[in-house]
Formats: sequence, structure tokens, C-alpha cells
Amino acid sequence: MAQVISIDPVTRIEGHLRIDVEVEGGVVKDAWSSGTMFRGYEMLIQGKHPWDAQQVMERICGVCPLIHGTAASYALDDATKATLPPNARIIRNLTLGANYLQSHILHFYHLAALDYIDITAVPKYSGSNPALILLKDKISALVAAGDPYPFLPRYESPDYIGAPGGPGDPNLATELVGHYVQALEMRKKAQEMLSIFYGRMPSFVGTIPGGVTQAPNISNIAAFRARLGELAQWVNEVYLQDVLTVAQVPEYEPFLRAGDSGGNYLAYGGFDQDQKGGEKFFPRGTIVNGDVLNVQGFNETKIAESVQYSWYTPDCEGLNPKNGKTDPDLEKKDAYSFIKAPRYEGKPMEVGPLARQLVKKPDALMNLATKLGLLTPPLKFGIIPRHGARVIEAVLLVAEMDKWLDQLVPGEPIWDPKGKEIPDASYGRGLVEGPRGALGHWIQIGDQKTKNYQAVVPTTWNASPRDKDGNKGPIETSLIGIPVPDVDNPINVVRCVRSFDPCIACAIHIIHPEHNGVKEFRVI
Amino acid sequence: MTGKTVSRRQFLKHAGATAALLGLSEAMIPQLAKALEELAAGKPPVIWIQGQNCTGCSVSFLNSNYPGVADLVLNKLSVRYHPNVMAGTGQTAVEAIDVTLKDMKGKYVLVVEGPVPTKENGDFCTFGLGSGKKSLMGNEVPNDKPIQEWMNELVPGAAAVIANGNCASFGGIPGANSGVTGATPVPKIVAKIDSKKPVVNVGGCPSHPDWFVGTVLEALLFLQGKGKLNLNENNMSKTFFGQLIHENCERRAAFDAGLFLEDWNDQSPDMALCMFKMGCKGPVTYADCPTRRWNSKVNWCVGANGPCHGCASPDFYQLLSPLYKPLPNVNFAGITPAVDTLGWVAAGATAVGVGAHYLYKQLGEKPKESTEGGEK
Repeated sequence: MAQVISIDPVTRIEGHLRIDVEVEGGVVKDAWSSGTMFRGYEMLIQGKHPWDAQQVMERICGVCPLIHGTAASYALDDATKATLPPNARIIRNLTLGANYLQSHILHFYHLAALDYIDITAVPKYSGSNPALILLKDKISALVAAGDPYPFLPRYESPDYIGAPGGPGDPNLATELVGHYVQALEMRKKAQEMLSIFYGRMPSFVGTIPGGVTQAPNISNIAAFRARLGELAQWVNEVYLQDVLTVAQVPEYEPFLRAGDSGGNYLAYGGFDQDQKGGEKFFPRGTIVNGDVLNVQGFNETKIAESVQYSWYTPDCEGLNPKNGKTDPDLEKKDAYSFIKAPRYEGKPMEVGPLARQLVKKPDALMNLATKLGLLTPPLKFGIIPRHGARVIEAVLLVAEMDKWLDQLVPGEPIWDPKGKEIPDASYGRGLVEGPRGALGHWIQIGDQKTKNYQAVVPTTWNASPRDKDGNKGPIETSLIGIPVPDVDNPINVVRCVRSFDPCIACAIHIIHPEHNGVKEFRVI
Repeated sequence: MTGKTVSRRQFLKHAGATAALLGLSEAMIPQLAKALEELAAGKPPVIWIQGQNCTGCSVSFLNSNYPGVADLVLNKLSVRYHPNVMAGTGQTAVEAIDVTLKDMKGKYVLVVEGPVPTKENGDFCTFGLGSGKKSLMGNEVPNDKPIQEWMNELVPGAAAVIANGNCASFGGIPGANSGVTGATPVPKIVAKIDSKKPVVNVGGCPSHPDWFVGTVLEALLFLQGKGKLNLNENNMSKTFFGQLIHENCERRAAFDAGLFLEDWNDQSPDMALCMFKMGCKGPVTYADCPTRRWNSKVNWCVGANGPCHGCASPDFYQLLSPLYKPLPNVNFAGITPAVDTLGWVAAGATAVGVGAHYLYKQLGEKPKESTEGGEK
């Protein structure tokens, strides 16, 4: 007998997400992903000075403002025909790298880890690490006082690390919880790195059309490098080891392949290594139908957004984002999400660290995949590989960022003043890779104002609903076949959803290509 | 409580450190010690919900430094519901709210991040499952529960409501789209439910972790009858929002000397230039960013040669746009700005009383003595 379970709120992600799954015989048979919050962002900058765009658009999301501000800057560089000086290109890469570090650490420890670790095992800690003994005392006291929030209540599951009869033991669970606390400090250091060049986080001022605002000097390079060194050590000695530990828990072996999104991957590529953007540290490319060994090119005209199951009017159907359109219709039959369904040649595409690293195939990733037995058919990449790809990115970046720092030249330009000359009419786009995946911003300038603005963000791809052809979105597809032994505790469903690191505020926004302004906006 | 027992003296010391770190008045230390002592016995419950937010204020809270966020969550606050932090999901998450509503009536602090949309029955922002049903491609499933309904349930039993961040307090960026979604600032929503309920605003896009934590502590002291809330006209604590950024800016000397940044490549190590001509809104924004700074005091916007965009001002963002154009008609009486209102409608009018050297520069003339202060 099939049963539909509705999970709302999906916590420990950014934003407002609801997941409905149909469960039959202990596994998911069907799934629906619904974004349940709408603001209307892009219309706020229409008719405004184009430089406002990055300040407003970076506030689409407080978890990933860096990448939105950066994408807006690239779109405005393009629209103003400004040329980034090398220092500015490198500083944009360094700050983006720092944001990857804070985002990936936050995701694994603070958003995902509580799905794998039994925090109630901590009072049973029997080791001698003084910091962990303090932690044990504290958590024991909270439990004794009947105040175990925010760690309980939770979905109960016998396969938490440290749970009675589960994998690992209380000492391992306590060590991991200790790393959760350390990770709070580590992600904070990564935010400080951003702050050094960009003023503050979240929401920053450091990138502008044509360049950046803070010149490199001995002092800020040293301040950045000192923190990078600490993070590099911690990423390699703690974060990487913890992911390996979780990945090799026998109980989680099914999650190596379960959660595969269908074999289609897209990466715009990011971290330009030369002034023309030809060479990128994370390359551009697509993979279709699970043919991971055959990376293909990318052509942005092949993107079209379906709104068949989204709360928008039918005339928004099938458009390329450059000409995208979004009129809400909350009464629309069968619609169940504010998120649109972008497709590439009609295919739903997974974006994010896994997509990026399958396109890049660095040795570190391939070695890890070999070790976990993932390179033998069937080639499917599920929940655990997403966490693996994320930590591999952190490992690659801490090494590479140190080299980028060496390339900064104090005293050389950081800004092309051409970025300040707004053309009467122009068009620009910025295609970048954020921590959560491929992100595109498109701007149209008319009368020296922002005439039209559009953003297609990573979670729009991943958390999209069905399209007009009935193809499920990547998260929906990934849920099919996920085991749900206990319908009251669908822990595996949220393990799968969280492996995508969804960011819903980003995914829902609105644009008016033809008519500017609130007055003509139609709500049915 | 098991574990260590803490003496009164230790609490005083702890309270002194907390007060100093947050920039609270020293006179508050004894009260704060008492409050922290009580917190240790029974931490004040917090329900933190999110409206049309971006989670920036939550991420900023995670950047809290002295007290760190682990200290806050483990030792000072009982975070019953926070969508980004809590272990629970779905009904187990909502269960935490239900229990708190029942057991902690009149005691919990309700924190709201983001405004509340009221159009279309509130359907522009929902979380949790409603009491009705809806159809999902042929399946009958529970409907969505608008945040507006949550406010109706949670406000009456709250000891106080904290509107965290500019958009919760004043509408902010999503509020500028209220014509479509009905995005409404939290204080207005609360006033409709219970006009006597204490509501305090914390400005900023995002809010600084100290502003938020400090305001919560001040509100708790106030509720215990141990301190008064010293609020400005926008219902924000004067501890943090009492002075203009321009008054305390480390680059004030450059402003007074008429030394303005006009090209970002012009970064002489001898003199950090004033950001006024790049659109700095420091002269009209009340916040202590120049002294408090951000991210463990590493930097702040002006410190990275970016203009202040006025994100703690109720006028952010619509009324402060264009963000990178200099303020058109700010009245400065000598070097002490006296007027904190502005309107771009008057942009065509002559700017009155702006720092004399800036005016000279606008007119293409040079001030006679560039090392002296502005017009007295």
C-alpha cells in the first residue's frame, strides 16, 4: 500500500523546502520537491543604476552572497566591456575560494553531520581528550536538565554513528561532535579571509564592475595566508578524514550509489586562470546519460526553463533565461513549486561539486572513487560521492589558493575605470561556479539603467519540479529507490536531499523582460 | 545542572567580559551577572523562524565571536527552533515548537528573520504542514502553513519579539516588493496581533552578531525588570545604533580634508581616502560599524574601500539608491552632521552645507588650506 509522506520544513538547508515522497514496500516510488517562498528580487533593480545590481543580487542569499555578487560583477564587466586587471581576477578567485571553504565546511558539519552522528552518544564518551570531556559534561548537563535543544528531537535511526548497535562507538561519535564545534571556528576563519579583501561577510562591498575595491598589500596578503594555512591543515587532517570515515561506514554502503540523480551533469566552470577566462581551474562541460568518461561542451542557448508544474503563467514556458519571464499564478492546476524547471537540451542536469569534479576528474577524486569502488559499473554517484566531491574541492583549493596569493602584485592596478562608464544600451552575462554549482546572471542595460535582470541558480537546477515532458528534477529523481524502513523517521530521504546542499532563497526569484515595474505585475 | 558549579564571582567576571565584548554599559554588569546566572539554571527558550529572508542574519549569527556561537547555543540560549541549526526535520522540528508553546508560554523569545507576506492568504511564504488538504498531482496531502499563521500562533505566548535584520524590522529589500507579496515588517504584524507585545528591531543587512545577541540580552534584562531598553526612534537599541557611522569613521579626517577616493587604483598607503564620492551612506546611517567592525573585528565595508550602503538604515535599499552616487542634499552643520533625512527628489537642488571642501571640489576650486577641518 503506497503512502505519501510530506516533509516540511526540510531543515538544515537554506530556505523553505518541502519534500513529498510516495513510499511503497519500504522504498521511495515517487517524489516531489517544492520551493515554498517567493520574494521577487530582480524587479527591484529594474530602472535603477546598474551598479546597484551586485549589492541587491548578493542579498538573494545570505549563505552564498559571495557568488551572487561575483556573478553580477562579471555580468557588469561584460556589459561595460571592462577588462579585469590580473590582481582583480586573482582576488575574485581567492575570495571565491575562501567562500567555498566556509560553505563546504558549514555544509558537512553543521547542515549534514547530524544525519549521521548520534549526539546522544556523547555522554558515554570514555576517552581522555580534555576538550571532549568538557563537551561530554556540557551535553550530559543539558540532557539531565531536560533541555537538549537544538539537537533533539530528531528523526530516530538505528544507523547513527555511536548509536546502540549502530556503526562506530560513542568515542567516535564524540570525536565527530568535537569536530562539529571546531568547524564553527574554521568556517568563521574562512569568513574572515573574505572580510580581509571584501570588507565583511555576509554581504560585502569588495567587488565592483571592472575590478575589486581593495588593493593587495603585504599586510592583507599575510593576514589571508595565515588563515589559509590554518584551514589547509584542518581541511586535510580533519575534514577529509571525517568524510572518509563516514564514507566507509558499512551501513552507509548503499548511499554510495543510492541518490544518483540520473547521470546528467552541468558545470559552467570557474576560477579563471588567465585574462581571457579560457583556462579555468574548475573546467566547463556537460555529461549526459551517465557517460561520465565522455565530457562534452556547453552551449548556453540549449537552456530552456519549463513552468508546467511551477506557480507561473503558461506564457513563461520554454524560454531561454536571456528572455526569461515569470508571472506568478498561485491557482495553477497541478503546480507545486515556486521553482522553475531549467533543462539543457530538454534534460534535467545536476549541478554542484559532484558535477564539477566529474567534469574535472582530478586525481584526488578518481583515487577516492576507486577506493570506494565507484568506478566499476553501474556508474552511479549518490549521496556519499556528493560529500566526497565537496571535500576534494576543499583539498584542491587550499593548495591552489596559496599559489594564487603569490601571483598578486602590490602596486599594480585592481580596477578598470571603464567599468564605471555605463553604455546607453548593452547586455552582459556572468557564468560562474558557486559552492552549490553553476550560476548564471544576465543583465540588459537600456537608457543607462538596468532594463532586465535574470539569475538561474544552482538550486533551480537541482530542486526543480517536473517539466512539461514529465521529467523529474534531479533531487526528485535521486529520491527514487531511497530506502524508508520507518515512515515516521524518513532519515534517508533528508540525507539524500541535504547531499545537494539546497539553497531555496536563491532558487526562487522573478524577472520581467518586457514590462518594467510593479504596476504591470500581474498576480492572479 | 551537573558538571561544574559556578560561583557568583565567576558569574560577575563572566558578565563583565560579556558586557565589555558586546559594548554594553558597565553599569549593567551586576544585572547581567544575575541574568546569566539564571540563564545557566534555565536557559531562555528561543524560537527563531524565517519569513521572506535570505538566511544572511542566521549566517551572521554563526559568525558570533566572544561569545562564540557554540557558547551561545550550549550555555546561554535554549534554541528550540532554528531551521538551519536544529537536528529535527519536518514534524520532529515542528514538535519542538509545539512543546515550547505549551511548556514555556510567556517565557520564550520569538526571533523573526525576514518580513511576513500577507497577500494571497500568506502563500508566498510557508513552512510546516497546515490543517487543511491540497492535491499534489492526484495525491491528497496536507496543505502548506503560511508564516502569517505561525505568527498568529507564536506571538501571543512570546515574552518579546526580536525582528532580526533590516527586512524583518523595516521590510528591507523584499519589503520593496510589498505591492506583489504584501511583505510586511514584523513589528506591524505583531502590533495587529497584540499591540502591547514588546518588539525590538535589530537593523542591518545582515545584522551584526553583537547587535543581535546584545539586543536579546538587553531585552531579557528589561523583561526581568533589571534594565531599561534605550531605543532610538526606529526601535533599535541605542547601544548599537546610537551614533552616525560618519561621526566615528576612521576616514573622517580624509572627509574633512576633502580627500576623496575617485579611482580605486588610487590606494596610497599614506592616506586612506574618504568614500563619500563613491556613494557612502555613512552620513545618514546610525550604526557602530566603524568601532565594532565585522568578522571578529577583521574589517568593515569602508575599511575595504567600499562605501557604506546604509544597510542598517530603515531607508535601505530603495530610498538610498543609487548606491554608488554621492548623497545629494545632506545637511552638515560644520563637521557635525545634524540632519539624517534625505530624499533623492531634491537631487537637482543645491546641496546645502556639505563639508566645505567637498563643495569646493564640486565647483572646481581648491580649498585654501587643505589640512584644516571642514567649515565651522
